[in-house]
Amino acid sequence: MGSSNGKGRSSWWRMEKEMEKGKVVVEKVRGKSTVTRSFSKYPLKFIIPRKLMIPQGDSISVEFTIGDGCTAVLTTQASTKVYKSLGSKCSEQVLEARIGSGALFAVIPDPVTCFSTARYSQKQVFRVASDSSLVIVDWFTSGRHESGEKWDFELYRSTNHIFSEGNQPVFLDTVLLEQSSPANIAERMHGYQVIAMVIIYGPKLKLVQDQVQENVKRMMSQQLHIPSTSLGHHAKTNSDNCLTRPAFIASCSVFGPKGIGVVVRIASTTTESVYRFLQHQLAGMEPLVGVPPYH
Amino acid sequence: MEPDLVETDKKRKRNVSIGSTLQWSQWQLLDSILPTGGFAHSFGLEAAIQARLVSGPDDLKTFIIQLLDNTGSLLLPFVYSTTLNPTLDNWQNLNRILDATLTNEVGRKASVSQGSALMRVAAAAFTDVPSLKSMRDVSVGSGVVPFHHAPVFGLICGLVGMDSGTSQRAYMYVTMRDVISAATRLNLVGPLGASVLQHQIASVAEAMSKKWMDRPVEDACQTAPLLDTLQGCHGYLFSRLFCS
Repeated sequence: MGSSNGKGRSSWWRMEKEMEKGKVVVEKVRGKSTVTRSFSKYPLKFIIPRKLMIPQGDSISVEFTIGDGCTAVLTTQASTKVYKSLGSKCSEQVLEARIGSGALFAVIPDPVTCFSTARYSQKQVFRVASDSSLVIVDWFTSGRHESGEKWDFELYRSTNHIFSEGNQPVFLDTVLLEQSSPANIAERMHGYQVIAMVIIYGPKLKLVQDQVQENVKRMMSQQLHIPSTSLGHHAKTNSDNCLTRPAFIASCSVFGPKGIGVVVRIASTTTESVYRFLQHQLAGMEPLVGVPPYH
Repeated sequence: MEPDLVETDKKRKRNVSIGSTLQWSQWQLLDSILPTGGFAHSFGLEAAIQARLVSGPDDLKTFIIQLLDNTGSLLLPFVYSTTLNPTLDNWQNLNRILDATLTNEVGRKASVSQGSALMRVAAAAFTDVPSLKSMRDVSVGSGVVPFHHAPVFGLICGLVGMDSGTSQRAYMYVTMRDVISAATRLNLVGPLGASVLQHQIASVAEAMSKKWMDRPVEDACQTAPLLDTLQGCHGYLFSRLFCS
């Protein structure tokens, strides 16, 4: 395990940048989705059957294999908190998942909360078959807003990639927020405290997709209108208009071949309203995964 | 001595001549009169107004700066790559990647609409670059590859002989030009105010171009999730002037 080089230092002391890897395999055993293999090294710990804890650490990488026809749900026990970073070190998380034919993988965590000066980067790659289904919720808040920490972190980056058979790119998205570029993040957020994205993909979720699209359209059509005094120089001042901005904004987009996926983007002034939205819109998943998400 | 001087002068005149031809093509490409349908798109500005996030010239300036930042981070890599490597394979590959990257349906459709129109015009007008027409014909025939705006723009720039620094700046320029034009039609600012604003923002646009240029496509990212969410709401607007 250890060896020393000519300078008398053992090479197994090299701990920085070591990727902690974990692996989970879900297969059908006697008709039920079962974790058949799991391997984790400290600081990673799996709590089976359906909850997973991702602890703090510099770099964490987890691989999932969801067998044909299986269902797996990945949640967190609480909001992922990213603390102040030391120097320019960045907390990195990588999730890679391979989802089999007719399988469903739901990633429904609590939001990431980056504290003042934190640096956080995550990457999630999903490789799916032509009839796989996915639900991915990826969201983050402005920080400890009760303590006045609003959008005070240094860097947040989140990448979500979906590849179909033959390595075809279906969904390639990276959100990057860096302090002081061009303005500070808080200015760019116009008072919104939470940003969320929900990907609903695949044949098993068609009903959920249709319902979300209808609900969002109905909700937003009521919120958006030509401002009554919008004619340029006679517009109300910013502070007046602040009172009438929608507290919750959402939009749906179809993506992928034959519109197989729907992505919902959300900006909200409170975390609670996003939890409520997720509860309501994903309630239709209960028959598929056995529990109503975000209850 | 004399024959050398004449030779040098001839060379210089040839280079100026090539440079001048390029300039005329450049100006035509950046002129808003080029029929690419850019006037039909507000880049999410109309939705931002109806959500009361933009109501006057100050908000507008902030909006434009954020839009340009996002254009740089998300789209300049596609312009860069096709300018440097204006081949059929690279262009088709980038179209596929961008199609998966533009997850916002409103933005994606706007990109295809402008890209198709631009390719059509360029293939017809720039007859001194016959590969434009042949690439277009091949791709229209296959029907699979959508013509996205940024890769088409870079492709044309590359084929007419523009360098990648100029083509990337030019892409930022046409975005700024079109959103300011949309702002005047949305009554946020008058034509004179728009010209003043455009000149004010130019130095910011230059700084962003420098910040985001020459990056690989793998690094494309979005930096304005709030604007992305808003632009996605365009389809919910009861009455609207623009397509996006």
